Amino acid sequence: MTRMDNDMTRMDMDMNKDVKGMDDALKNALRRQEAPDGFAARVLARVAQQDSPQKPVHRDSWLTFLTQPIVRWAALAAFATAMILGVHVYNVRRERAEGEAAKQRLMLALRVAGSKLQLARAKVNEMNANQTRNRQVKE
Amino acid sequence: MTRTITRRKTMLWLALLLASSALAHAQDFKIPPDVEKLSAKAKETVEVTMDGPMLRWASKFLSADDPEEQKAAKLVANLKGIYVRSFEFDKEGAYSAAEVEALRSQFRSPGWSRVVGVRSERDGDNVDVFFKLENDKMAGIVVISAEPKELTFVNIVGPLEVDQLADLGGEFGIPKLNTKASSKPVVKADKGEHK
Repeated sequence: MTRMDNDMTRMDMDMNKDVKGMDDALKNALRRQEAPDGFAARVLARVAQQDSPQKPVHRDSWLTFLTQPIVRWAALAAFATAMILGVHVYNVRRERAEGEAAKQRLMLALRVAGSKLQLARAKVNEMNANQTRNRQVKE
Repeated sequence: MTRTITRRKTMLWLALLLASSALAHAQDFKIPPDVEKLSAKAKETVEVTMDGPMLRWASKFLSADDPEEQKAAKLVANLKGIYVRSFEFDKEGAYSAAEVEALRSQFRSPGWSRVVGVRSERDGDNVDVFFKLENDKMAGIVVISAEPKELTFVNIVGPLEVDQLADLGGEFGIPKLNTKASSKPVVKADKGEHK
């Protein structure tokens, strides 16, 4: 066996050793490993969440204060008070207008009565004057 | 059951009787339907119907600052009602003498005295003033004025004192009547009669 043959044999042996090591590393890296508990459920839940339509985003506005019960009651009380006041003011105004109209009717009635009594008086005076004149003429 | 119904009927009749007598006392007259219909022919109509509560309510709105309204408030304080019908027509002869007579005849009854009855042939103005007396006190006044183009009926129900009448003079053009002669006719009518 020559020296060259010996070198070749030694090189083959080294190569075999490297390949075996690489093979072991690969086997170790790719060995089957069990998933942690609940992994599948978490994955499914995440998938379901991504598929569902997005919920509207609630933005804070000035109207949100109405959601508070005390504010709602206060608003209701203010509305009721305003309504009652409005009705009261309307009734007072209507009563005043009707009263003024009634007063005008009353004054009209008294004026008509007065004017007719004045007419009666004028007629009486006229007749008295005529009678007196006639009497004086006769005398 | 029958007894209960009879009792109820009696009570209903009594209530109706009381209501009608109260109404009759308050107004004490009826405007004939023919006279009421005159408003259809009239150029101008004044129709005032005010009973006691309405008078008191209306008098609340009379101003204390206005002397005329102040006197009016004093006058109406004790009144039970004011009823006025006045019709003004375009032409003469819009109403008949019978219609006016139907009005007058209602006051030719005990309790009423005609204190003025004027029949003027010259200008056709006929005016009657009736007083209602209760216990020698005036309890009402009726004025019926029939002019060629105008017919007016005024009934004031309630106690009218002499002072109140005097207050009326000049304020509303109402003359100061000679109330001493209230039980007798002040003037004998030209053609009219006095009961």
